[in-house]
Amino acid sequence: MIWLDILLKRLLWVVPTLLGLLAIVFVLSRVVPIDPARLAAGDNASPEQVEAVRHSLGFDRPLPAQFLRYVTDVAQGNFGTSLFTQRPIAEDLSGRLPATLELTFVAVILAALLGVPLGVVCGLHRNSWVDHLLRIVTVSGLAVASFWFAMQLQFLFSMKLGWLPLSGRIDGFPPEEVTGLMIPDALIEGDPEIIDSAIRHIILPALTLALPAAATVVRFTRNGVIGALSSPSVAYQTAMGYPRRQVVWKYVLRMAITATVTQLGLIFGILLAGAVVVETVFDWPGIGAYAVRSILQSDYNAIMGFTLWTGVMFVIVNLLVDLLQAAIDPREAR
Amino acid sequence: MPTTRRDAMRTALGATLLAGSGSLATAPLTARRSAAAPARFVYANNSPYDNLDPHTVFDTARAATRFNLYDGLYRWVDNPPKMIPWLAESHTVSDDGKTYTFTLRQGAKFHDGAPVTAEDVVYSIERILALKKGPASLYLDTVKPGSTKALDARTVQFNLARPSAIFLVTVPDILIVNSALVKKNARGEDWAEPWLAKSEAGSGSYVLRRYDPAVGWNARRFKEHFAGWGERPFDEVEFRTVLETNTRVLGLQRGDYQGVDGYLPYDQIQRLRPVKEVQIIEQESMRVFQFALNTTAESMNDVHFRRALAYAFDYEGFIRDIMKGSVSRNPGPNPNPIWGTPEGLKGYSFDLEKAKQELAQVKAPLRPITINALAGFSESEQAAALFQNTLRQIGVEAQVEVSPWSVVSARMRDARTQADLVPLWKSTYYVDPNNWVGELVGSRYRGSRSFSWYSDPEIDAKLDRALVSNDHAEREKLYEEITQIASDRALGIFIYNTKWYGPYAADVGGIRFSPVSNGQDLRWAERKE
Repeated sequence: MIWLDILLKRLLWVVPTLLGLLAIVFVLSRVVPIDPARLAAGDNASPEQVEAVRHSLGFDRPLPAQFLRYVTDVAQGNFGTSLFTQRPIAEDLSGRLPATLELTFVAVILAALLGVPLGVVCGLHRNSWVDHLLRIVTVSGLAVASFWFAMQLQFLFSMKLGWLPLSGRIDGFPPEEVTGLMIPDALIEGDPEIIDSAIRHIILPALTLALPAAATVVRFTRNGVIGALSSPSVAYQTAMGYPRRQVVWKYVLRMAITATVTQLGLIFGILLAGAVVVETVFDWPGIGAYAVRSILQSDYNAIMGFTLWTGVMFVIVNLLVDLLQAAIDPREAR
Repeated sequence: MPTTRRDAMRTALGATLLAGSGSLATAPLTARRSAAAPARFVYANNSPYDNLDPHTVFDTARAATRFNLYDGLYRWVDNPPKMIPWLAESHTVSDDGKTYTFTLRQGAKFHDGAPVTAEDVVYSIERILALKKGPASLYLDTVKPGSTKALDARTVQFNLARPSAIFLVTVPDILIVNSALVKKNARGEDWAEPWLAKSEAGSGSYVLRRYDPAVGWNARRFKEHFAGWGERPFDEVEFRTVLETNTRVLGLQRGDYQGVDGYLPYDQIQRLRPVKEVQIIEQESMRVFQFALNTTAESMNDVHFRRALAYAFDYEGFIRDIMKGSVSRNPGPNPNPIWGTPEGLKGYSFDLEKAKQELAQVKAPLRPITINALAGFSESEQAAALFQNTLRQIGVEAQVEVSPWSVVSARMRDARTQADLVPLWKSTYYVDPNNWVGELVGSRYRGSRSFSWYSDPEIDAKLDRALVSNDHAEREKLYEEITQIASDRALGIFIYNTKWYGPYAADVGGIRFSPVSNGQDLRWAERKE
């Protein structure tokens, strides 16, 4: 019932949130310093042809009418057509989604695997040298520019050591597309060389994304552990003689992890919206690289589609995080 | 000593790490694969391959799609560029210069095995004219829809609306599509534009295998191609979009790519020179870097103001300090290697005193001017910044705005929105002075291929004659006169001609650079022994 309650409440907010986002995106798209009709008509189109395109695309209608048409199209899953690729935006985005999804998933798993244990260690050894050292590392992780870090990883692991590929998702032809995710598809195909290639290719970009994410996870887990350790229930369990390991990993961590889960969810949402820099440096053909290209080409339909996609991702991820929090600690949800 | 669970885990972890490091320490996958795989050439480019339609895409950066998947009647090769017969084996021109008749060679086939016929040529030019994109602006003035005829399967006749001295040199840009295949995939009146954006229907040296707009495209060698093949051609070519310059450069060093775009920033070229696995092929290109001037804007329509600007740019300093001497000074609108420039044309030099003298003759009050530099092109941005600084020394304030090319080019379609100055390159689309000075100053090109929006009856009269004359000596004289006028009236600020530094893997041979195809035409590329 708690879940259903949360779900209904959040869903009520989804419609106005997305409408607001649509309105902002629409207005912004109309103030960019280019003429979309001219872009769509091509370089050599005469003024008459440009006007014909303007009419066919509805750009000559009043703004409220254009907005209504845009909302209606989006509700039907039609984000418009890219001015450059000539394909539906939805097709462009869905074609790139698996690459971003796979990279994000691996990066978040890495961040959690690195960040949660280290956060617990920091919390348990508050203000010790371990805590100070890890604080320096995590602050550095947040401060370091991802493009710089990505290039350092490339220099070390690809150029100096030759262990890992420099860029891309795979060498040569990808496996037969089943899920669109390279590693699962490689596993389905069962070719060890392709599996090896897919895993090698994802390591560096995922690590680049995971470092700042792990730093955030460490900070939140540490604070959660410190808060949990001072709670009466932990004091009671300690007084009752429960083994320390059990107190820490079963009770303290459960209380401490709520904020961490929220952060992981937000990180997932941010990365899913496109890890712009990392995808560009590693030539990773995902949503972020698409966004960069669309902006460079002023493909305003694509920019609108991408922005909307980002908003939808955040809404969905926030909803899932709320549900997950309710599962971990129902009191928080109430 | 008993083994604890922790010890067992440590042992397992250690074994896993060892196994992992052993695996990682082996040669890179690409290297391991290359021994058994067919000869493969991977080209990393910074331009997106988001559209494969040869009648839509026309920029030189993406020449690979047009020249590897498709053929034209004629083809530009080498440097200085020469036009060789390709799908056509010969042509004739009528006395009035309006009828061009091409005879197609026998044996040329499309990738699906269908023969290349005159009907395909007719369909291709009609499609170009109908779409009005890409190369269309070269023909819209002279080739009218419905005027091109297939006399028989091997003879095609272009009936021009007016004589054109440049028609023949633009013929290589009419890339021939398989009309039956394209028609089959057309929906209504769309000329199969959405379909051809992601497919191919050509007869070119390579056959498209896979295309992913997010990645690029991959093609296999068309063994039946009429031009035949050398001894060690590449069986597979791949053109990838790699936006990040550093990644392209490192990938070339590492052997992931066999070629990278030839207009990298010069510091990257210097970085690649000592790498023994890489070769740099140097050629003087035909790509003039200049400030395009909007001569219709207030003050900009005053010749003294334009001359003041031309004297206020530090040409030598820019070439020496920013371009590191990697390019040569080009004082006029035409690139140095081509004819049409009067001998000894000096152009302008950096002289602030002369700039001030010219400025003193400007009637209108001085106003701040705008420079719209190209985002992502360091030379364009640096030239704008340098110019802003020297202009300040003569009392002219300049506002620099940096925008993506799509924004700049959209603005340049209208004189009212084009910035006063735009630092950019004029590339080679066809090898004739008209490509540079003609399109710069001819009234007929205003709103399409002109940068300057200039209009003058005297120049137009000369250009009209130059565009119909079949006498090369007469044309040369006319273009020299037009070039001299363009220089005297400072219709642009012409800075340098680009040198092409093509970075390729050291074991690649047979690259035939042409300023038209930019070293991306791979049909003669081969593996060295």
